[in-house]
Parts: sequence; C-alpha cells; structure tokens
Amino acid sequence: MTKSSGSMSSAAQPRPGRGGEARQGPGNLRSPLGRAIGAGCAKQGVQHWWTQRLSAVALVPLAIWFAVSMLSLPSHDYSTVSAWMAQGWTSVFLILFVLSAAWHSQLGVRVVVEDYVHDSGTKSLALALVTFFHVVVAVAGVFAILKVAFGGAA
Amino acid sequence: MADFRLPANSRIRKGVTHKAPEAAREVRAFRIYRFDPDSGENPRVDTFELEAGECGQMVLDALIRIKSTVDSSLAFRRSCREGICGSCAMNIDGLNRLACITSLHDLGREVHIYPLPHMPVVKDLVPDLTHFYAQYASVKPWLLAETPAPPDRERLQSKAEQEKIDRPAACILCACCSTSCPSYWWNSDRYLGPAALLAAYRWIIDSRDEASGQRLDALEDPFKLYRCHTIMNCTDVCPKDLNPAKAIAEIKKMLVERQS
Repeated sequence: MTKSSGSMSSAAQPRPGRGGEARQGPGNLRSPLGRAIGAGCAKQGVQHWWTQRLSAVALVPLAIWFAVSMLSLPSHDYSTVSAWMAQGWTSVFLILFVLSAAWHSQLGVRVVVEDYVHDSGTKSLALALVTFFHVVVAVAGVFAILKVAFGGAA
Repeated sequence: MADFRLPANSRIRKGVTHKAPEAAREVRAFRIYRFDPDSGENPRVDTFELEAGECGQMVLDALIRIKSTVDSSLAFRRSCREGICGSCAMNIDGLNRLACITSLHDLGREVHIYPLPHMPVVKDLVPDLTHFYAQYASVKPWLLAETPAPPDRERLQSKAEQEKIDRPAACILCACCSTSCPSYWWNSDRYLGPAALLAAYRWIIDSRDEASGQRLDALEDPFKLYRCHTIMNCTDVCPKDLNPAKAIAEIKKMLVERQS
C-alpha cells in the first residue's frame, strides 16, 4: 500500500493509531467528555467496600479459631468431629464462619467478574450465577451445621 | 472478556536496526516502538545504536539525537525538558517515566522505549490521551463555591489548609500513573484512574471549595472510584513523587465516614 491510499482504504477498520475510533469503533461521534461521563454515577459502592472490609476483619479471628480447633481435636474421625460440631458455641462460630466467608467471597468474586467480563449480557449472567452459588453454599453449610447440632450425635 | 492478547493489528513485529558507526567505541542500543498509522502496517521495534558519548545525559537527549541524526520520522512529545510539563511520559525499560528526567546513567546498555501502556497510539511514542483528559475534565477540576469571593481580595486559606493541597496540586497530568494501573487498563472506559481521582481529591479537600459533597456524590460508583484495588503502581511510578493511591484511599474513607 502506498502512503496516501493506505490511510484511506483501511480507515474503516479500528486500528491502534485511530485514537477514539480504536476504543469506540468508527462512526462514534460522541464527545470525549460525554464518553468519560458515560452513564453517570451509580450512587453505590460504599456498602460493598465497607462490608468487604468488615467481613475480612470478622474472618481473621474466625479462621484462626477454626484452624486451631481443628488442629487440637484428638482425631478427625466422623464421631469426634460431629461431637465437637454439636457443642453450642462451636455451632454458633461455625455458622458465623460459613456466613462471613460466603459473604466475603461473594463480594470479592463479584469484583473479579466486573473487572474482567465486559459483555453486558455475559456479565449479568455471571453475576447472577455468582450470587446463586454463594447463597447455595451458605445455606447448605448452615443446614449441615444445624443438622449435626440438632440431629444428635450420629 | 478481558483481552489477554493484543489485537492482530497491534502485534509487534521485528523492525530495522540502525547500526552505530564502525568507529564507535562504546555503543548504547535503543529499542524503540514504532507505529505509523499511514503505512497500514503493524507496529515494530526498531533498534538505534548510538555512540555512548553522544547520547547526552537523559533519555530525551538520546531521543532528540536519534531524531536529528538517524531517523527524523521518529515521533515523540517533549517540551520543557525539566520534568514539569509532563509531555515526554513514556514507558522506559518497563516503567512509566518522563524521558527528560530519566538519566541514562541509571539504565543499562540496552534501553527499551515504548509509548504509555494500553493507550491508543497516534504514532510511535505518541499516545492518544483524549479520554484521559476528558476524565480529568469530568471531575470539574476548578473551584466551585456559592459564596462570592471577597470584593477586595482573594479567597484566603490558612497555611495548614494550603499544605493539605500542596502536594496533590503538584500533579502535572503526565498520565504515568493512570497508564501503569492494571485496573485502568481493563476498565478505563469507566474507571477514572489515579490521575483524575487525585485531581478530584485535591478539590474535595480544598478549604475554599464548597462542592466537596457533590464531588463525593459524583465518585460514589463501583467503577468510577471503586475499580481501584490498591495495586499501588500509580504511587510507584509518579515522577513527581505524589501519592494518588493514598488520595483514593482518603476518598473511600470520606465516603464511609459521611454515612454514620
């Protein structure tokens, strides 16, 4: 391609050199400021940020307690562990642990999806699946703990 | 999805090598990203060999030397040559910095020079900063106040009040920070990036400004502000030693504090 005809004939394709077009595709005449403002401000994000920190702080003692308890159990067979789980405070802390972990994980995975999935349909679907998955994990975890706690030692 | 490879038309191919003269005793090689929008060809990396003694002190001196003696088609921005205009920001040996204050003595025999990462390239080392500047404009980087200024003098600030904005106001908008931020790479269409957020912070904490609340309102968004994941590249690379990461953290803190 010659210099002059090269720029004309391939102008229809977005290329690194075409500034705004490289981002938006050709034919987008929205002003740069309009693009920067976009859909404006969602008026949220504070709760997400704050609860992510809160759940992280809650997880520190809960995770340490869980690890120490597991290590100090005399054995890890079914009867020992379920007897330990059935103790009142153990069940309470385990439920708190499962709920904080699921909540914290949901907040984090949500951000990962928002970071990397850009197609809006795929993103909505992925976020819905992420939410469902964490709810299922949390409910199943709590149910299992309660079953052991109230079902009596098997 | 995020792009993990460059688009086909952005992949870099091998370029040409401009050899140093035979007589050169000590050679320095500059491997420079080249892109010519008019050629219709992919970008390439050219190698320019210079006699070490002729490079000058700073990377910008070497670039000017190459442009005036080897290849006049090499395109780059430069103006003040003393680190205050921010024009010559580029990626030198993997770090975003100003070519004019990056000493060649701190670099190896081979210097790799690319445009600022993840921006559309106009030509060679010249990135398109239109969107970056528009994002800066979107935070309204000017004084907003209902109270009229005193008729006989300026709006006054105490020394302590001035010191708060002294550093943040020293930003030269070179874009080193924003273009070093992975979160800005993936989501710059919606994430404002460290430079614009530092500017927003500078006005939020300005004692003369009366729009701090509106400014915070305008940032309370999962993308505009909260794409910052405290990666800290911004603070690492800032050629003016500013701390955009801390400014962003302060904004997040103010947003939480005003809730309870």
